[in-house]
Amino acid sequence: MTEQTLLERPLAVPAYSARTSTARRRLNGLLPYAFVIPPALYLLVFMFWPLGKQIYLSLTRTRLANPNRSTFIGLRNYERLLDNPDFYTTLKITLIYSVMAVIVGVAVGLVAALALNRPFPGRTLVRGILLFGWAVPNVAAALVWLWIFNERSGILNTIVTGLGLERVSWLTSTEMALPSILLVTVWQVSPFVMLVMLAALQSVPEEVKEAAVVDGADKLNVFKSVTLPHILPTLQLVSLLVMVWSIRRFDIIYLLTGGGPVGSTSTLIVKLRQVAFENHDLGLSSAYGVVGLMLALSVAAIHALFNHRRQKMSSR
Amino acid sequence: MNNVHQIPTRLLHILLVLALTVFGGFPIYWMATTALSLNSELYNSGQVPWPQLANLPSMIAELAQLPLMRWLMNTSIVAVGTTVLSLVLGALAGYSLSRFKFHGKGILGFLMFMTQVVPEALILVPLYAMFITLGLLNSLFGLVLANVGFSLPVAAFIIKGAIDAVPYEIEESAVIDNCPRISVLTMIILPIIAPSMAAAAVISFFAGWNEYLFAATFLMDRDLWPASVGLASFVGQYETPLSAVMAAALIFSLPAVVFFLLIQRKIVAGITAGAVKG
Repeated sequence: MTEQTLLERPLAVPAYSARTSTARRRLNGLLPYAFVIPPALYLLVFMFWPLGKQIYLSLTRTRLANPNRSTFIGLRNYERLLDNPDFYTTLKITLIYSVMAVIVGVAVGLVAALALNRPFPGRTLVRGILLFGWAVPNVAAALVWLWIFNERSGILNTIVTGLGLERVSWLTSTEMALPSILLVTVWQVSPFVMLVMLAALQSVPEEVKEAAVVDGADKLNVFKSVTLPHILPTLQLVSLLVMVWSIRRFDIIYLLTGGGPVGSTSTLIVKLRQVAFENHDLGLSSAYGVVGLMLALSVAAIHALFNHRRQKMSSR
Repeated sequence: MNNVHQIPTRLLHILLVLALTVFGGFPIYWMATTALSLNSELYNSGQVPWPQLANLPSMIAELAQLPLMRWLMNTSIVAVGTTVLSLVLGALAGYSLSRFKFHGKGILGFLMFMTQVVPEALILVPLYAMFITLGLLNSLFGLVLANVGFSLPVAAFIIKGAIDAVPYEIEESAVIDNCPRISVLTMIILPIIAPSMAAAAVISFFAGWNEYLFAATFLMDRDLWPASVGLASFVGQYETPLSAVMAAALIFSLPAVVFFLLIQRKIVAGITAGAVKG
């Protein structure tokens, strides 16, 4: 204890201790709630009440024209989903899209982080340029990529025809639309992966790496036995984030293809909007959304489970 | 022996950096190049693949045809509103999560994490119905209220993380002196964590700046459109004044790019902290 606090205590305490009665202490017990209630109430009203209502809608027959008149029909909308081949296609597309976004996005981001982790002239500038995809707003990104992908005058097809090949329908053919959207997604998410992994790489202890080299390990071995184990938890976390973001992503898919052609880029969340606003079926639309939410939550739960197990292992 | 090995690795490294730079930077370069092209080139004679500064005057003339100023004004109002509300509520939540013990603390943390998993589209229809009842449809204020639900938790996680790193001794004497807790927060803690507050502000600001789906659904009045909705209205249109649209998209992107680059490290720390706690 320092001299200062020893001197201050006797001055401060007697002045108020007489009034620090039970009433005051009880008031102090309520104090946290004065802080917590405004933000908590806000989230309840503008986030969780609508969410609850949306989940309830999935148990009803509700039309867009009359959203406040619902008939409770239990799990019928989910039965309709399971009977509908469209649902399985949507689910499959969502899984392919988000798993591929994780694999390619994390791979590109990790490679970029490794490349930027060793010094070279102009590194700060390159690092800035690599972050563009992450910083540019979705709508602006969609506009420029639409132009890049433009079938008649876009730069990609100018290059393709220049090479003597046939024009590619980047966004309007069922084979190419999903890969094209994945390309844009990778452009958007890999910079974030790079930033996070760069921070993780810089925290790898140099001494351990040096010790491994002294012991005769080559670069690949150092990476496998020192660097990789150290960055693995971060890699797992960032994969989880990219997966969850991909499941909930809407703007860029909607703006680039609207879910088409013939539903080939229609993830659960894009389908949710389509069924609500084009088929006017709010009940079924909600069911799609709830499945999307469950998917995202189960990814998060799997991550939490792994995390828990790892913490238990390392504490042993 | 070692030197013979090193040259290909160095070359490979340079090629890799080059390829990544082209992939990361090309769309922005192309935005600028397209903005500085003539529409006749874009649609007919073929695009010149470098920016033609000589076309700057015609681009500005075309840009003046778009209500870009009004869009950016609306965007700014939404972004500022989202920032203020997120920071006020986020500071309260962040301070409580860091310093207080209270019933439901775990639940609050979990709910805040949940907001990062919930897709915007999932609460769109109920919010729409609610805003009809409250008269908040077709209003920028209503849009702010919807945005804050997603940006408040991120701000709160960043602020909580920053307060965790502040030793309790700093506020202890003020608490013993019966200084009101809210003053402890605003006059002692917040100035100390100013850099993190700035990061939280930038994230909330650009969450509001970039937001598209709520804005496109809740605002019918064209005069209220933010830039995201205004620009997106050209998607799928024939006869788009493409060079002007690209110029507008570039202007719309520029503040986001500058600020994100400035606080990149803080943003990453904040977003990952929120996810770790879940």
